[in-house]
Amino acid sequence: MTDVAINRSTVKRRKRGLARKHSPVKTAAALVLAALLVFFFASPVVWIYWASFKPSASLIGTGTQGLVFTFENYKNVWKNDFGRFMFNSLFICGISVIISTSVAVCASYVLSRYRFAYKKWLFGFLVLTQTFPWIVMMTPLFIMFANLDLINNHFALMFCYVTITLPFSIYLMVGYLEALPRDLDEAALMDGCSRFQTLRHIILPLLAPGIVATATYSFLLMWTEFLLAIALLTKTSLKTLPLGLALFFGEETVDWGAVMAASALTTLPALLLFLPVQSRLVAGLSAGSVKG
Amino acid sequence: MLSYSKDQRKFVLLMLLPAFGMTAAFFLWPTIYNIKNSFTDLSLLGLRDGGRWIGLDNYIELFNDSDFKKVVFNTLFWLTFVSVSIRLVLGFAIALFIESQLVRRLRLTVPLRMAALLPWATPDIVAVTVWKQIFDGRTGAINNKLVEWGFIDQPIVFLGDPSYVWPSVITIIVWNGLPIIVLTMAAALQTVPRDLYEAADIDGANSWIKFWHVTFPHALPALAVLGLLTTIWTFNNFIYVWMSTSAGPGTFSNVLATEVYLQAFVNFKLGLSSAIGTFMAALALVFGIIYFRYVVTKRFGGLM
Repeated sequence: MTDVAINRSTVKRRKRGLARKHSPVKTAAALVLAALLVFFFASPVVWIYWASFKPSASLIGTGTQGLVFTFENYKNVWKNDFGRFMFNSLFICGISVIISTSVAVCASYVLSRYRFAYKKWLFGFLVLTQTFPWIVMMTPLFIMFANLDLINNHFALMFCYVTITLPFSIYLMVGYLEALPRDLDEAALMDGCSRFQTLRHIILPLLAPGIVATATYSFLLMWTEFLLAIALLTKTSLKTLPLGLALFFGEETVDWGAVMAASALTTLPALLLFLPVQSRLVAGLSAGSVKG
Repeated sequence: MLSYSKDQRKFVLLMLLPAFGMTAAFFLWPTIYNIKNSFTDLSLLGLRDGGRWIGLDNYIELFNDSDFKKVVFNTLFWLTFVSVSIRLVLGFAIALFIESQLVRRLRLTVPLRMAALLPWATPDIVAVTVWKQIFDGRTGAINNKLVEWGFIDQPIVFLGDPSYVWPSVITIIVWNGLPIIVLTMAAALQTVPRDLYEAADIDGANSWIKFWHVTFPHALPALAVLGLLTTIWTFNNFIYVWMSTSAGPGTFSNVLATEVYLQAFVNFKLGLSSAIGTFMAALALVFGIIYFRYVVTKRFGGLM
């Protein structure tokens, strides 16, 4: 009863707070500021999609201006192997995500539930690999893979993508696992489940939302990865989307229409995947667990 | 923790091995190889012959080189310090604005959050691409408008003019990296207990006092974590500078990440490039250790 009473009074007070008069000057200033912010954040993204449907000539101010729309840019990038790049990206990132997330679930389960020596060192190692500048590894990796004859090999890149996403996947997943009660594991083990069965049948279903968020984030990281891809893939037909996008800058004059269409195609999957998990990521970030 | 039994050790090892085996192979070997190369004069053209052992010569060359000092300054000051400070201050201010009563009453909170999500979901390489077009010296949107409105006679080559290049690169980084701060800080502000404000109201506190004594102390931990992470990501980033200016004009906007690349793949000096990389990794290590000690240990300390 008292709870309800308190709640009601808070609601009343809040309503009063909301109804408090703000001066018209303040309101106008807030409206202007909000409009400016929306413009600053949204206009470049809107511009990508808008410009991707404009004739290239009109983007550099020479062709017809005004409301002319065309699919020419998309046809153009398609002709220049962009479908191929997209397929390569989907193939490499898709397989890598499955491997990376499965391996991460195993490691994080043990890190979260079992006591053993040197655990602090393992955590420390994971964190340091997260903060390591990847550019430094470009040359050694290139030489290593060249010696193994693995340049222009998609599986070599997959190996890289699995390992670069593992540390933060484990870190995120340990966080999600910590939110699941330990009694569950203990009860399952008592009832005669093997350790692996406990993970597979008791923990995994409960961890599903966390797994989805982690996998999505890994996928986004791989989808936009540029450095390792450029070091390991030199053959055009094997390249991934970010490399394909960079290819359109290669020539003396830039075909902005094609670049915008390529940007639009690279961003769209990221946008669609990102929006559903963003609130989870925001929650994880203040705990320091997401790579941006 | 689960009770100890005989098969525990086997299970733990089996579950950890794939993850840590792969990570170790991927990170440790290149790091060691890189350190080894930094003591040689290995060249990209003479990979097969290997390099000659030259001791600390590469490092001595670097620390006597005034150009290298400028690269370090560019990295620490412009790329990292300035861009991170702007993002933290602006991001926190915008979060306060988004979560303010006035904005909530105007029902603008959700539209503002949605708008902020767009740059965050944009890959860094695409962000640079679109801003390059906006900044373009001949046909970019900003130059068009500035000329049209009569502010300037001649278009400005934003990414090619020393006096504009850092502000322009930082604008790109801020656009791409501000939303993560705004949205995380907005979420953090929602967790400040309401009754603290009510208590402050009863004590007759003005909004400035409420900010310093209630809001700010509650927001500080999240702001510190974000500051640290953003610093690490920006310090390590190669894309922003390389894709927008290629370290130019000349080497004016050169940073450590692009210098590693330039020495290795433009000047073919793999030994020197490795020394720069080792130096860069050592700096990143400092950030990493701070992050581990103050963030990870705090969060998962009970597990270790």
